[in-house]
Amino acid sequence: MKSKVMNLLWPLGFGIALILVWQLGIFHKILDLKPFQLPVPTEIASTLAANWPKALQDCGVTISGALIGMIIGSFIGFAIAAIATFFPKWGYGGMIVVTALNAVPIVALSPIMNLWFSTGMAQKIGVVTAVCMAAMAINAYSGLNSLNPYSIDLMHSVAANKWTIFRKLRLPNSLPYLFTASKINIASSIIAAIISEYFASSTSGLGFGIKDNLRKAEMAMGWSYIVVASLAGVILYCLILLVERDALKWHASQK
Amino acid sequence: MKKGKLTSLMAVIMLLLLVATGCSSGNSAAPGGGTADTGKATTPGKLDKVTLQLKWLPQSQFMGYYVAKSKGYYKDAGIDLDILPGGSDIIPEQQVYNGVANIGVTWVSSLMKYQSKGWGLVQVGQIFQKSAMLLVSKASTGINSPADLKGKKVGSWFGGNEYEIYALLAANGLNKDTDLKLVQQDYTMNQLLKNEIDAASAMTYNEYGLLLESGLKDSDLHVINMNDAGVAMLEDCLFVNSDWIAKNQDLYVRFLKASIKGWADACADPAAAGKVVYDVDQSVSLSHQVYMAKEVAKLVVPKDFDPAKIGYIDPAAVKQTADLALKYGLLTKPAVISEDTVTSKYWEKATAK
Repeated sequence: MKSKVMNLLWPLGFGIALILVWQLGIFHKILDLKPFQLPVPTEIASTLAANWPKALQDCGVTISGALIGMIIGSFIGFAIAAIATFFPKWGYGGMIVVTALNAVPIVALSPIMNLWFSTGMAQKIGVVTAVCMAAMAINAYSGLNSLNPYSIDLMHSVAANKWTIFRKLRLPNSLPYLFTASKINIASSIIAAIISEYFASSTSGLGFGIKDNLRKAEMAMGWSYIVVASLAGVILYCLILLVERDALKWHASQK
Repeated sequence: MKKGKLTSLMAVIMLLLLVATGCSSGNSAAPGGGTADTGKATTPGKLDKVTLQLKWLPQSQFMGYYVAKSKGYYKDAGIDLDILPGGSDIIPEQQVYNGVANIGVTWVSSLMKYQSKGWGLVQVGQIFQKSAMLLVSKASTGINSPADLKGKKVGSWFGGNEYEIYALLAANGLNKDTDLKLVQQDYTMNQLLKNEIDAASAMTYNEYGLLLESGLKDSDLHVINMNDAGVAMLEDCLFVNSDWIAKNQDLYVRFLKASIKGWADACADPAAAGKVVYDVDQSVSLSHQVYMAKEVAKLVVPKDFDPAKIGYIDPAAVKQTADLALKYGLLTKPAVISEDTVTSKYWEKATAK
């Protein structure tokens, strides 16, 4: 019980100290900044409070785009990994393509997607999908193929067919890998969604809010969007952790 | 136990995010102070180093500086000028305030916004006497007047470039949030060409030319000109950091004098000026640079404007910009127009016979 409290208190205390240092202008002294260049936490908080509905609405746009893109991207990534597992001879080509796609930076991808899709939302989903495919494909492929040799021997000895092996052995084995991929993807999907909004032909979303406000000297407003983006990222990450904890009760990492 | 682990993990992540965001802001503003101590008296043979931050890419929009540089006007004035190109995420106000550059080119409305937030910047010259902002639509869309924008999809670059459009809409009784859809426009004209938006922002000297180059004719296009609509705000001006100018008055006057000479030459022969800019940066074609130079010359020396007055800050135009900025929400309190925010005294010295 005591260590539980301490586990929580240490980071909490550290966080409060950091905000205090920021509020008291010590960062400003060290970095030679004026409050209009780096707003203090209270100003950010009051700006956020005053613009809460708008920020929340923009957050909703960004997060829904990020989640839809992530789901589509993860699904495609998994499908590619599954195909590569079932048909290793030619299916592995898909893995190589998707890994190569992963090397394309988001900043390059966003304007390209802008040319393909006419609405900001479609462009955002397109970018996030492309970004999320690789992590899922690579992880899922590992999960579907790093099997315990004895297990696969057992499957063969009872004459299990490919599909049964997939369902009974490969799929459960891949589950921890899928969660690892999801944890990577949840962070990168939000980053990708925000960056795509820098270029999107729309005026909603956290990315547009951050860029637009920082450009026209509304620093506190820009920072409140940054805070909202951080919070949304943390909450989604924790949601994935919770689901993982429930879904993987049997796995060694959760014991 | 597991629950404790999760909550502490959550706390650690929040912390990391805070640290990360804190650091990133530090980086963007870190190069402070910098090159502000260039204003010593000129010793023969030794040039004072000055950096000029452009608002956009090297193009004929800034031809006066390039012409003055190529003709050696700055060197003659004892100045070694370094011209820094701008870009979509390079903000001249921040560059000049941080000391990355000594002198900047920006739009007056944007500068007023920074000044109102407490940034110690002062306007010290006005190169464009007229607004170059247009709203362009295909004739087939049937936008003949601002009122026809109702229910349409209209593009803007935002980031401070949207206020003339806001003013235009409000002046014509349109609500920018409910009567039409404003979307972010990229730096091409593809959205308009592909009919993804109905009307697009365009500068007379750049994007309008892109449309003509894409094969459209003047007769295919309908144009709303901010000057005609009475909502023009001042654009390209020269500004400096208040602390820098206090120590470098003479240096700035020399810079301005050489620049005005460059602008005068450029406006007298835009075709040659376009070639000068093209030789510096080949990012767009020579013909586009020349087109731009010709259009920019009309803004710097409009009809009936004395070329000897290039750089003149028209108080009435500044006031109109400030009034529109306040009325249409760019500013939350009236702009302070004083010697500390906009001053003609260096221009008067630079143009004195």
